[in-house]
Amino acid sequence: MDLHGWLMALAHSPLGHAMQTSRWGFAVVEMVHLLGLAILGGSVLIVDLRLLGVILKGESAITISRDLSRVLLVSLSVMVLSGIALLSEEAGKCYYSPAFRWKMVLLAAAAVFYFTLHRQAILRTRRGTVTFWPRIAAVVSLLLWLGVGVAGRAIGLL
Amino acid sequence: MPLLHQFCETLYQSGFGTMLRESNNAFSVIESVHVLAITLLFGTIAVLDLRMLGVILRQISVSSVARGVLPLTWSGLAVSVVSGFLLFWAEAEKMYANPSFRAKLVLLALAAINALVFHRTIYRSAHEWERQHMSPWRARATAIASLALWSGVIIAGRAIAYF
Repeated sequence: MDLHGWLMALAHSPLGHAMQTSRWGFAVVEMVHLLGLAILGGSVLIVDLRLLGVILKGESAITISRDLSRVLLVSLSVMVLSGIALLSEEAGKCYYSPAFRWKMVLLAAAAVFYFTLHRQAILRTRRGTVTFWPRIAAVVSLLLWLGVGVAGRAIGLL
Repeated sequence: MPLLHQFCETLYQSGFGTMLRESNNAFSVIESVHVLAITLLFGTIAVLDLRMLGVILRQISVSSVARGVLPLTWSGLAVSVVSGFLLFWAEAEKMYANPSFRAKLVLLALAAINALVFHRTIYRSAHEWERQHMSPWRARATAIASLALWSGVIIAGRAIAYF
């Protein structure tokens, strides 16, 4: 099924109907999405600032990343689920929104990057030292996730 | 008209407030900065709260986590307050009567008081308990209050548009 077909199916699903007819549904789901965003952003920020050697230099990047990756996974799941619910209410608008498409591309890139190259860069760190590739990985990660956030914001504005 | 209401009306009708409100881009940009700042503010303090609740980073002492995280939290607060004040300036007259905005300010004050009390009391003895995986009950109570109150601020903030 192509993207348009998938989005229309979502809009006509029970979830879509519930979201479209409920007075507070969209607001509540959006609030959950926003809280998830704060937690996800916080965990990304702390791990990447550690990789850049800005904070928690005396602690192992591997230790920090292991725990905060769990936080990231949970908050990312919350954001994807709430995001699908939001999408079911605004399927048409999102389909035609370049900001939404950008957001999905950047989200895929950020997630893939986080679980591949970024993870490898972290495993190469040793306590107290900051090397080249972890720094690059941190900057790329921050830019990608920031891009997701900005694109998401742009959906509502453009 | 009460003084506070007068103040809001003055801001709202000012040249700067009007310019912000009617601008195509300025208000949206400031609002976007305000929203994304919750990452810096809430996202980071949540990590410290979760540490004290013994959920994450148990091998790292609480004060080390705090030292790493709090500068970020303060930066987030600074950005939020400045951008928030500009948003308020543009919409001051409408904000005066908005119940969600008032709730947000109350919750914000409570969150600040929660942090202040923590730093002046239980955190003073941090060296005694900071290495424990789970912090003393007073620290945990502060952490739960922090998570709840800041979530409340964000929720109330989002609800402003609905009143």
